[in-house]
Amino acid sequence: MKTSLNFEQIDRFKEDLDKCTKCGFCMSYCPVYQEEHVESSVARGKIMLIRALLDGTLEATDEMAEQLNRCTLCMTCAENCPAGTQVPAVITAARADKVRLKGLSFPYNIVYRWLLPRRRLFGGVVRLASWFQGIFLPKTEGTIRHLSLFLSALGKGRHIPQIAPKFLRQSVPEINKPPAGVEVKYTVGYFTGCMTDFVFPELGKKIINFLTRNSVEVVVPRGQGCCGAPVFLGAGDFATGRRMADTNVKAFKELDYIITDCATCASAMKDYVKFLADNDDRKREYTEFAGKIKDITEFLVDVLQLPPSAYRVAGEFKGKTVTWHEPCHLGRYLGVKEQPRKILKSIPDIHFVEMPDADRCCGMAGTFSIYFYDLSKKIADKKAASIDSTGADIVVTDCPGCQIQLIDSTTRHGMPQKVMHIMELFE
Amino acid sequence: MFNAKHVDQLRRIVGKDNVLATQEELLAYSYDATNMWQHLPDVVVLPTNANQISDILKLANESRIPVTPRGGGTNVSGGSIPIKGGIVLCTTRMNRIIEINRTNLNATVEPGVILQDLQEALAKEGLFFPPDPQSAQGCTMGGVVAENSGGPSCLKYGVAKQYVLGLEVVLADGRIVKLGGLTPKNRTGYELAMLFTGSEGTLGVISKITLRLLPSQKSSQTIVAVISDVAVAGETVTEIIASGVLPSKVEFVDNWTFEKFRGLLPDEILDKSQVILLIQVDGLPETVEAEAQQVVDICQSRAGEVKVAQNQAEADRYWQARTAHFSDISSRTHTIVNEDVSVPRDKIADFIKLGQESAKKYDVPISFAGHVGDGNFHPVVLTDSRNKEHYNRSLKCVEEIIEIALSLGGVLSGEHGIGLEKQRFLKKAMDPAAIEIMKAIKDVLDPNHILNPGKIWEETSD
Repeated sequence: MKTSLNFEQIDRFKEDLDKCTKCGFCMSYCPVYQEEHVESSVARGKIMLIRALLDGTLEATDEMAEQLNRCTLCMTCAENCPAGTQVPAVITAARADKVRLKGLSFPYNIVYRWLLPRRRLFGGVVRLASWFQGIFLPKTEGTIRHLSLFLSALGKGRHIPQIAPKFLRQSVPEINKPPAGVEVKYTVGYFTGCMTDFVFPELGKKIINFLTRNSVEVVVPRGQGCCGAPVFLGAGDFATGRRMADTNVKAFKELDYIITDCATCASAMKDYVKFLADNDDRKREYTEFAGKIKDITEFLVDVLQLPPSAYRVAGEFKGKTVTWHEPCHLGRYLGVKEQPRKILKSIPDIHFVEMPDADRCCGMAGTFSIYFYDLSKKIADKKAASIDSTGADIVVTDCPGCQIQLIDSTTRHGMPQKVMHIMELFE
Repeated sequence: MFNAKHVDQLRRIVGKDNVLATQEELLAYSYDATNMWQHLPDVVVLPTNANQISDILKLANESRIPVTPRGGGTNVSGGSIPIKGGIVLCTTRMNRIIEINRTNLNATVEPGVILQDLQEALAKEGLFFPPDPQSAQGCTMGGVVAENSGGPSCLKYGVAKQYVLGLEVVLADGRIVKLGGLTPKNRTGYELAMLFTGSEGTLGVISKITLRLLPSQKSSQTIVAVISDVAVAGETVTEIIASGVLPSKVEFVDNWTFEKFRGLLPDEILDKSQVILLIQVDGLPETVEAEAQQVVDICQSRAGEVKVAQNQAEADRYWQARTAHFSDISSRTHTIVNEDVSVPRDKIADFIKLGQESAKKYDVPISFAGHVGDGNFHPVVLTDSRNKEHYNRSLKCVEEIIEIALSLGGVLSGEHGIGLEKQRFLKKAMDPAAIEIMKAIKDVLDPNHILNPGKIWEETSD
């Protein structure tokens, strides 16, 4: 008989585990349940599995891990739970305890423990991967997140963008000052994330230009690394996640704002304190770090308070109809719902149209899409149908992970919509 | 009885992906929304059509394997717990809305359609299926019919049985039978579709449902009244109904769940009140306005605060607070004993008063909420099954409350059904001859007692 001493992370979220009353309302919201229609997919089922793990009825088997991984952590269940159960936190903690007890399986152990925390080496491997990508994969517009995604995609034929010929950090200086004559009102750190760095460097350059033009000095600290989301949230490897968190905290120590263009990175970094703070020092440092993080749209609307005229739409997008996909990490995790819509609605040069269920998960969810690509595709199909129903020319979002997924699904369906980051709309 | 080779046979019937047999998967089908029982099935099968259900039942019937039909598993009676093991036959993958017909005012659906999904699809067509159990977000149509579900709107519109026109049912021996039809009037033979409506999965498996629909109401208005005293709340309801207004909903929550209303209603009034009544009137805009005023006038003389929701968003917030009641109460304690009695409307105030006295006598916390407009109450005793002494007192209190309801001319279950939860009270609540008739019907339709065994009546009286 096991004691709950074996489950130190789950114990931290015991209150949430106990809150669930098994009412089953989550069935109406869970994107995974809505594809599979089996109880172990939905929040209530997962809560019951974790309770069984704790009371010793079930063991931390591979099947248990499979069930716990079968969740996009989209948070829709938690948002709608009448008892207020924070199921994603419980699942993340359970993943962590499973990893601590049983370890990670190949190849994730190599990728997460060894490669992702080593930024330069990771860049080199991604580069190597890009050569193989050219040989084996269909090329599409745009460009790969983690090596693991690449490995998975290689076998399954995902339509993914290409690795950029030159990474962002190789293309821009560490300190980017506003052009001559523009005064510096703010100095911010830019957390570029793996995706913008390796896949969408042009987006990064656009954001730097946009900010500098609007009186913001942009620092791209060289010491920054991966946010750690796939490692501690996806795979439950908290020890490695902590190393990555410490790296990023150190890299941005001197800066007052940390700007991100990836909702997943932002929310993962804000969650360092929730999952990774194992002592008072880390708790303090992670809390302070979290307070500085702003999503780019949140920074533009709430801090800079830019007028509509500051958003100069690039010539090729003028007159286009644009719709918005709200990333789970942006809306439900960071609570940034209105800011991007405010920007889109205020621009006279485009026509904004809200898609049905704009905040519904696209099914990417990082590691989830590696483990369960077919399921991830089915969830994405519903998003594709929503996009299609708007008749928009362009779908914009604020998370390169969602962007990859939307590119994949619109391409698979032969849809004409261009998928972009919201900041790519601008000059 | 069940053995491993049955798993292979079931896989041949429904395909590999539609059979679940790992320990983890089975655990996820061992419970429902009650918290007193849990039992593992031996296997879970997810058929995708009636022929597959037929083959599953033939196999089970030949091998005498218990079969527990299940949809969303949101019931609060223990009805979908596989208390005898065997097969859980889960219909959640039969989730097509086959047809919505605006001219015939009917819809034909498979049993696994989630009620809320149906309601949303109907709303787009300007139509409406009134039963609205609080579990609408997870419960499936097969369960809505098999449990004869209710909900707040049943005050004006009636329960599920009033909307069942036709059923396709698979019997225990595998026969697929069509009952009723597509028309609102149908006087052909016995009302056999009604036999399966409310049968709690003990007589057959529902594989297709044709429902009668109503056109959506053009307008509605929500009124909230905060009342200091339980008995006064009861009288208020009685007076509203007697005044000739028939609201679509009159709901009652006591101060156990006031937290959900904080920020919506003034704290100083909530702090000194015992009851919130939520009332909805619906119909044509001009009727709604007049009826809402009538309700407000009646409430005003008795309530500390009366508020009319200014828009749909505000109304939705009140109704969400009401919907959260069950979860809210459940999350306050380890175990709740949730009852479902229904009393005649003119006995509401007496019932609550006697119920509170009983809770005082047994020294257990009790919360009253429910569809007070039709006399259907959910008294909830908060206890902890690990504390035997407290738990036993709670059970005694509940037993007394049921007796109070019965003595006032009420019934044991208004809308949850008997399942496991209420079978110990069945003999008190039903004519013995009626129980014999039920058993005789069971023997005709399911002679080997494979369908949802262990439910409705106690084993010993079998």
